[in-house]
Amino acid sequence: MNQVLAALDASWRILLVGILLGSGLPVLFALGVRALAWGSGGDAEEHLASEVNKPSLTGRLIAYTIFTVVVLMVLCGIGYIAAHGMGIRITFDGIVPVFSQK
Amino acid sequence: MTPALVLLIVVCVTALAFDFTNGFHDTANAMAAAIATGALKPRAAVTLCASLDLVGALISVEVAITVTNHVIRIQNSDGTPIPALMADGGMPLLQILISGLAGAVIWNVLTWLFGLPSSSSHALFGGLVGATIAAVGLDGVRWVGEGTHLDGVVGKVILPALASPVIACIVAALSTRVIFKLMRNVQEKYRDGFFRKAQIGSASMLALSHGTNDAQKTMGVITLALIASGSWTDTTAIPLWVKLSCAIAIASGTFTGGWRIIRTMGKGLVEIAPPQGFAAEASSATVILVSSQMGFALSTTHVATGSILGTGLGRPGATVRWSTAGRMGIAWLITLPSSGAVGALCWFICHLVGGLAGGLTVFGLIVAAAGYIFLHSRRSKVSHHNVME
Repeated sequence: MNQVLAALDASWRILLVGILLGSGLPVLFALGVRALAWGSGGDAEEHLASEVNKPSLTGRLIAYTIFTVVVLMVLCGIGYIAAHGMGIRITFDGIVPVFSQK
Repeated sequence: MTPALVLLIVVCVTALAFDFTNGFHDTANAMAAAIATGALKPRAAVTLCASLDLVGALISVEVAITVTNHVIRIQNSDGTPIPALMADGGMPLLQILISGLAGAVIWNVLTWLFGLPSSSSHALFGGLVGATIAAVGLDGVRWVGEGTHLDGVVGKVILPALASPVIACIVAALSTRVIFKLMRNVQEKYRDGFFRKAQIGSASMLALSHGTNDAQKTMGVITLALIASGSWTDTTAIPLWVKLSCAIAIASGTFTGGWRIIRTMGKGLVEIAPPQGFAAEASSATVILVSSQMGFALSTTHVATGSILGTGLGRPGATVRWSTAGRMGIAWLITLPSSGAVGALCWFICHLVGGLAGGLTVFGLIVAAAGYIFLHSRRSKVSHHNVME
């Protein structure tokens, strides 16, 4: 029974972080694509034949900011896997990551 | 050359063969979605996956000598084999290992024939549990961990297998739903271009993490065999040649692609559009990373399948082929008992014939079974040419 409780305890934590990061990242990326579609104008967004979508600088700026964050997050992920494999333990006290040799 | 030494070599070869099947079973986990959406061409995908697998296996310093301790009791806590199995040049332990590996390899090749993704670590644990029950008895198995420390067959195998696909499925379904809401007004072609690019990044993360995790188990098994026969004594390090050969074995397995399983995961469960592919991979990568940070042992296969199912559930109007999902579920349920039964049977054969001849007989059985299944598979060949047709 203890094992089941321990597994449930681990599961809800994984689910919580999974939703935050694992759903958050693709949703953020989608926001970026949406913003860029708005920023690019033309046929990127669905529109009526009578309408003309003008490009928007704001849209593009928002998009590139979001994409930068997404790329950084992915790089952090890859860095994390590599560091973990190389025997460096990363702990999160609060939010700031702390690196230490295992 | 003593008989134990010859058997040791046979065990090493079998372990590398297992590592190879581990590779081709798991290419699909990282790459099926990327191939299905056209983010990567099939050959490019397996090449990328194999390279990252190799890098991952080589950079990893994780020492998994005590890997068998999760489910069976043939090792002390420091990694040395228990003395009773060390007699006669480690012969009893080598017989358990070759029988266990036989169960794992045969199960992996058989599930590959049916195109069913199944966890290679479960197959390995199953084979070892079966061989140990046959050799030592039920007491040789660690069924449940102590207290709240997740361990044993229940804590390391059964509970994670139940929880992890569900978690991955929820995460992927949520993000898929939100993404398609956000993408309502965006042209499909425009949208897909971006998500295909993103998929390459997320698939790479999965492939790298596979390399840092999965090759270690085989390295642990080979090192244990070396220690049993007295060819290696250090329990805190793995010989370099073992590390290199395991990395190469798993990467070449990955490179050969396991196209049957890629087809099932890429097309069999859900029709995957690029946003779904990215959602699935991001979900898998996160769940795997968070779990490994917390020391929760899970199978990449279960997570990847759960995520792909989730993207089908999350997308309005998408169809999920539940019959295929059901077949997979059944395969997961019977992985441990089936590879265990083969492991136990092989141990009895090994024991009956006895000594080196017994080990060689089991090895012959593996080669015969794998060869037969391979020839059978030629009747309906799946390769990178027709994987998504």
